[in-house]
Amino acid sequence: MRVRRLPLILSGLFAAALAVSGCAAPGPSGTAQAADAENDFNDPFEDANRGIFGFNQAVDAAVLVPVAKTYRTVLPPPIRQSLRDFLRNLNAPVIFANDVLQGQVELAANTLGRLAVNTTIGVGGMFDVATRIGIPYHSNDLGITLAVWGFAAGPYVVIPVLGPSNPRDLIGRVGDGFADPGNYVAGQHHLLWAVVARSGTSGIDERSRNIESLADIERTALDNYATIRSLYRQRREAQIRHEQSNLPNPTPVQGGDSGPDPSMTYSVAPTPPSREASPK
Amino acid sequence: MMRRSAAIGVLFLTVLFCTAPRGANAQDARAFVGTLGEQAIQVLGPSVPTAQRQARFRVLFHDDFDIPGIGQFVLGRYWRAATPQEQRDFLGLFQEYLVRAYSARLGEYAGEPFRVTGSRPNGEDTIVTSEIIRPNGNRIAVDWYLIGSGGSHKITDVYVAGVSMKVTQRDEFASVIQRNGGRVEALIVQLRQKLAAG
Repeated sequence: MRVRRLPLILSGLFAAALAVSGCAAPGPSGTAQAADAENDFNDPFEDANRGIFGFNQAVDAAVLVPVAKTYRTVLPPPIRQSLRDFLRNLNAPVIFANDVLQGQVELAANTLGRLAVNTTIGVGGMFDVATRIGIPYHSNDLGITLAVWGFAAGPYVVIPVLGPSNPRDLIGRVGDGFADPGNYVAGQHHLLWAVVARSGTSGIDERSRNIESLADIERTALDNYATIRSLYRQRREAQIRHEQSNLPNPTPVQGGDSGPDPSMTYSVAPTPPSREASPK
Repeated sequence: MMRRSAAIGVLFLTVLFCTAPRGANAQDARAFVGTLGEQAIQVLGPSVPTAQRQARFRVLFHDDFDIPGIGQFVLGRYWRAATPQEQRDFLGLFQEYLVRAYSARLGEYAGEPFRVTGSRPNGEDTIVTSEIIRPNGNRIAVDWYLIGSGGSHKITDVYVAGVSMKVTQRDEFASVIQRNGGRVEALIVQLRQKLAAG
């Protein structure tokens, strides 16, 4: 019964995303040009988005950052690295599927090789042996696949707790969740807690790597909301071009590897906030 | 000790390249970025006092970045709408804002290995590609857009992991201006307040 509910929630989200996107009509893939049009932020729900963004910032400061800091303090770096490698390995089937759907033969071969090596020699994915032998990690998700197929992003939306997104990425997130073998197995065995624990851990892990960079942006930006929005868009566009797809997205809240990652750093932008901060 | 001799080596090479004939433009550009990256990463990090780091960044932005060009791009269509006085005020504040923002935001890369990986022409300009190697082995691509030739290069943009510094800044400032009735003056006021607040 409890497990039943998850797909229900997901399909509800899916329907909502469709509604928001106006059925996600296939559009020109020229999102880069569209976004480059001056001051076209593609953000018709800006007032609502800013409200949710403020709420997310409050949740972030009150809950996520303290938890992420504790996580970073309590667990030594090698354990955190192993946990991250393990979560990434769990995500490999979904990454592989998206590599294939995008026709990225080389990336698909890499992902398959990584899965084989890390699951066996890497002891169930706890050690990223593949990177050491020259097959580096890259992320991929259905949001990117949909973009490659020519679907437009749709308007920028801020999702409660999850952070920056758009209908295309939202649909991708849900689709990846359904396709994930780990989720499927957990569903078969009525282990909803395992699904929750996985995405929760991955979100906290991601957040723990971005504490300083996101705080620096928030402190220095004139308009934090606009900065994060810009970083999200640019970062996703870079991922769609398959530049630096090994890095996480710039999302203040969340963005784990088990889920589709959206995010500044972004940051770095120069901030690309979404870079991985070294554990300090 | 190693770091210092490496830095001196880079400096030496830079001097060499700067005095080299003009045909070596791409090499000039790479050496320019190599030196700059080393300098920037050396002044980052918690061991360097904030005031000192900002002072170094101030020199760096002033000498090596095309602030007027970046400033015009960042204001976009509002540049023409601004009075000459506003334009001057904006450029002065903007440079200081960059110093504050980026000396903080780039702090996490302190002391990490940085290397120039190549260069390619971009119209009349040059793009120098480089990477920072994180402790976990991830490589972050940093692309530098340069104008100029010979020994006098200026940076017009920096892309970190596919994210453009000047586009990010333009999007933020445009949002501030739009939300204040399209008045450039409002941005100038906010920049002033931000800088005054430290």
